[in-house]
Amino acid sequence: MIELHGLTKRFGRVTAVDDLSFTVRPGHVTGFLGPNGAGKTTTMRIILGLDAPTSGTALVAGRRYQQIVRPLWHVGSLLDATAVHGGRAAYDHLLAVALSNGIGRSRVAQVLELAGLSAVARHRIRSFSLGMKQRLGIAAALLGEPPVLIFDEPANGLDADGVRWIRMLLRQLATDGHTVLVSSHLMSEMALTADHLIIIGRGKLLADTPTERLTESSTRTDVFVRSPRASELAALLTASGADVTAEDGGLAVTSLDAPAIADLAAQHGIAVHELMPRQPSLEQAYLDLTGASTDYRAADQASRSQASR
Amino acid sequence: MTAAQIPATNAAAPSLAARARDVVAFEWTKLRSVRSHYITLLIAAVVTIGTSAIVAHAIASVPKSPPAGLSALTASFLAYAEYAVIPVSVLAVLQFTSEYSTGLIRTTFIAVPRRWAVLAGKAAVVGSAALVTGEVLAFACFAMVQALLSGRHRGVSLAQPRVPGAVLAAGFVLCACALTALGLAAIIRHTAGAITATLAAIYLVAGLCLFLPSPWKDDIGRFTMAFAASQVIALHPQAGLFSPWASMLVLAAWPAGALLAAGLVISHRDA
Repeated sequence: MIELHGLTKRFGRVTAVDDLSFTVRPGHVTGFLGPNGAGKTTTMRIILGLDAPTSGTALVAGRRYQQIVRPLWHVGSLLDATAVHGGRAAYDHLLAVALSNGIGRSRVAQVLELAGLSAVARHRIRSFSLGMKQRLGIAAALLGEPPVLIFDEPANGLDADGVRWIRMLLRQLATDGHTVLVSSHLMSEMALTADHLIIIGRGKLLADTPTERLTESSTRTDVFVRSPRASELAALLTASGADVTAEDGGLAVTSLDAPAIADLAAQHGIAVHELMPRQPSLEQAYLDLTGASTDYRAADQASRSQASR
Repeated sequence: MTAAQIPATNAAAPSLAARARDVVAFEWTKLRSVRSHYITLLIAAVVTIGTSAIVAHAIASVPKSPPAGLSALTASFLAYAEYAVIPVSVLAVLQFTSEYSTGLIRTTFIAVPRRWAVLAGKAAVVGSAALVTGEVLAFACFAMVQALLSGRHRGVSLAQPRVPGAVLAAGFVLCACALTALGLAAIIRHTAGAITATLAAIYLVAGLCLFLPSPWKDDIGRFTMAFAASQVIALHPQAGLFSPWASMLVLAAWPAGALLAAGLVISHRDA
């Protein structure tokens, strides 16, 4: 279990994490989403004790990370797979990390096997592809068989096989009762992996919801209507309080549901060829949610660079 | 699993000794598993002993006594003072800066969140490695130089008073330099800057003192590593400087100060 209470981190005048509170529960893959620069990595770094928060707390298993003795038994993490010494063999890298927390050599061999790296264990990491480094990082995270796992963009730079391997591993860990927090800036990837989503923008919490409920809250639900007498129908719909916009070959109608539209058309003898209530995709719901925060950020930066000129 | 269950996975809290063993094993495994570390040490050893032989040969071939003020004992460590000290100090610097440049430092701090413990582990491993290397090279240089000088009946032997202590102290100088370098590297984080600062601490400060007018030269200079090192390895210590024992304290104070400052900085800085 990971608990954040009013977590805030400022770097000078920039607020990277802004009064963030949420709980990550065991038994789920929790996707941690937000546009680039939303504060995901900073949040994870604070959870792992690398950065000190300006205010608020982040607790793992009820304690601050720095207070945990031999933390790798409790929390496994991968922040940056390329943060390794290229001149060291994969086995030695894992052995060093294992020994730092009193973990035995036999477990090193196990995680190498699990990550499919046994054959290259004695090779120097310099020769590894990004995908192999990601596997090595995940192997290191699993060394202490920790109940809590934190991964920052683990699928970045992986090929299709690698992405699928990570997805299945995360699902399996959650099924086994682990607490899994995994960040991404791609909704498409999280849609397949996460059953719970925490979405942030500009350091603020935007949504904390089961994945399947994200689209429900979206304002973008509408009804697509096609009719040979579209312009007449559009006028009628507008008159009854709906918002109508023309869309290739039909009308996109909001504020009036499908039965009401059908009834209205029937009353006036207007034929309807197609009537389709539409929910936005997860992707669209996510973009709608974060759109405001990204736009604001871009505008903010533009005005700042203007001011500095 | 819930929070309440977690302590059960690691019920017995490890003792302080076990945690000390953890960090030393961690740092030792990192040090020994990179081939360039061995190559650096090997080159340092070969160049140091080789240059010592050249120096000894040069001194031996001068007909009269050695150049002014240069004792046969000090001559043993002329090459050592540069060709052993510089590469070993650079190696010590890299133990922090290579982790900062690759990002591995975050893995280190995630594995061992108590940063004083990380610093202590690195200091124990780097300090021990430098001390062993220092003693081996100090005795090797001494043996090499004295073998060449004794042919001209100008050598000193370990049987003479002060000589064994001086050779042991020469070995310790390498440890003091390496630990000073380690502390500065933790603070500065970048390789080039840390090496520059280390060389300044070891050589430049003392070099500047040489330009000071007479009473100040020794009054200030005796607090520098190079002046203190010359005192502890001298057969006849200079009068204006600290005694060899007090100079040993000076040699210990530099790394102690650097490591203390490093601990304060890294435990309060975001990684």
